[in-house]
Amino acid sequence: MKNLRNSILLGVLAFLFSCGENGKQHSSKIYIVTTTGMIADAVKNIADTLLEVEALMGPGVDPHLYKAKQSDTKKLLEADVVFYNGVHLEGKMAESLESLAKTKAVYAVADGIPESKLISTSQFSGTHDPHIWFDVNLWMDVAKYISHQLQKKYPEHQEHFKKNTEEYLKKLEEFNVWVTEEIKKVPDSVRILVTAHDAFGYFGRAYGMKVEGLQGISTVSEPGLKDITALVEHISQLKVKSIFMESSVSARFINAVVEGCKEKGHDLKLGGTLYSDAMGAAGTEDGTYLGMIRHNVNTIVGGLK
Amino acid sequence: MDFKFELIIIITACLVAVSSSIIGCFLILRKMAMVGDAISHSVLPGIVIAFMLGGKLGSWYLLVGAAVFGIITTFLIEFFNKKGGMQHDATIGVVFTSLFAFGIILVTVYARDVDIDQDCVLYGELDHVAFEEGITMFGQIIPYTIVRLSVMLLCIITMVVMGYRGLFLTTFDPAYAATIGISVMAWHYVLMASVSLSTVLSFGSVGAILVVAFLITPPATAYLLTDKLKQMIFLSVGFGITGSVIGYYFATAIDGATSAAIASVLGMQFILVFVGKMVEKKYFNKVAVTGE
Repeated sequence: MKNLRNSILLGVLAFLFSCGENGKQHSSKIYIVTTTGMIADAVKNIADTLLEVEALMGPGVDPHLYKAKQSDTKKLLEADVVFYNGVHLEGKMAESLESLAKTKAVYAVADGIPESKLISTSQFSGTHDPHIWFDVNLWMDVAKYISHQLQKKYPEHQEHFKKNTEEYLKKLEEFNVWVTEEIKKVPDSVRILVTAHDAFGYFGRAYGMKVEGLQGISTVSEPGLKDITALVEHISQLKVKSIFMESSVSARFINAVVEGCKEKGHDLKLGGTLYSDAMGAAGTEDGTYLGMIRHNVNTIVGGLK
Repeated sequence: MDFKFELIIIITACLVAVSSSIIGCFLILRKMAMVGDAISHSVLPGIVIAFMLGGKLGSWYLLVGAAVFGIITTFLIEFFNKKGGMQHDATIGVVFTSLFAFGIILVTVYARDVDIDQDCVLYGELDHVAFEEGITMFGQIIPYTIVRLSVMLLCIITMVVMGYRGLFLTTFDPAYAATIGISVMAWHYVLMASVSLSTVLSFGSVGAILVVAFLITPPATAYLLTDKLKQMIFLSVGFGITGSVIGYYFATAIDGATSAAIASVLGMQFILVFVGKMVEKKYFNKVAVTGE
């Protein structure tokens, strides 16, 4: 019996061994891996087709809850340059990336932003809100930083990167003006953005919106009953027209707030879904950084005006 | 590159597998299997307090805070068990839920705006061991995690080999052990301290679910096959190692997280052996060898 058992085990083992496939081969192009799609988009704009760029966290992935696949790790090991968000967006993974940085070109794009411009989130020093992409101005710092690192690493392509970066920055600057003006269309008294978690702190600060989130920074802890009741009270008083869902956070709590407001006699509408921690599907308009922010701005203005 | 990655991950998994499977055998026989899972939750207050004292995420003293609370957990479990005469499973439940809840209160009161919980500051990711720096040995770079885990494994093997008689007697016949002058309490605390230290250290390298799986599943599978402690230890080590190797390639095949794949392979091993035993019992009309 024992022998039979052992041979079955060995058979299973041998079968599974044969299943192991080898890592995919990449083209001879310089290979850049980023964590979020937003960073990949910035790199693509700076490098266009010169480099191969890939983001680990696809559309709709919540970076706070992202779980690395085995192939993700292999991609990071194969990459020539790695860009990640930093300021603790990637959680424990950032620590791994920091150790990878000792042997490879690995950069946190938040390092391109002066610390004074980051939103400090607690009484403890050194912790900041990681959602830096929602302030287009800060994102320009990020683009400059990425460009600077690429130029340093590949001086032979310096001119190419420089030219693209200038064009991209110009686009971002014009876009920033557009966002500012769009948001101004919403009357001052109801310029309040209510969403599921605190992803829009930078957006609110940059474009003059009051931001109320149900959850804290991390999407792990769930909002308590007290948070929901307080928010319902607040919204009903100010007669805020709409509240927004997020692409990467569950709609459950937002629905609870809408229900609560109904009971208080305030008809709160769902203003639509905002992109918070990830961009839209690849290949669509919303699958780019500019498209993502534009979608958010249009949704917010449409819902609140 | 690829070959080296494979090797690093499999070696790391095997190191945790061997040390956890050995310790797990004693835990199962003492009906304390869930102590590893308890520790994985009850370390939260340790992490938060260490964070409040140190004020920075991702540093080594979070590990120390976690280890201290791991030891506190096992001591509290034993204290209530001995003084209160309660069952082990009940005391484990009481202690870890209370400590975990205490940790959550600390988070909500003092660190609400920080992304802090054991998931993102303590639990490691098996795959990411490949990113680590290490020391050069035999012309190879050996990641620090592998060095740390090897030292830990050596300590555990030494403890079990040197203390085999004490551990064996206090596990199976504490009354007899006491009459011949072996301190049941002392051996218990030695075992528990090594459980909490090794689990916390392993959490940081490979993540919690895998450690808990290694602590319980291979010893449980081995328990189905034998009623001799030595055989059980060797069998569970064998299951732990084969599970790690198969699990790695399973993860490659389905492109999932390696640690989760290994944990599920361990579960499948258990089911295979269990079904095998059922079939054996039915068709060969043998009476099960083991039993409580």
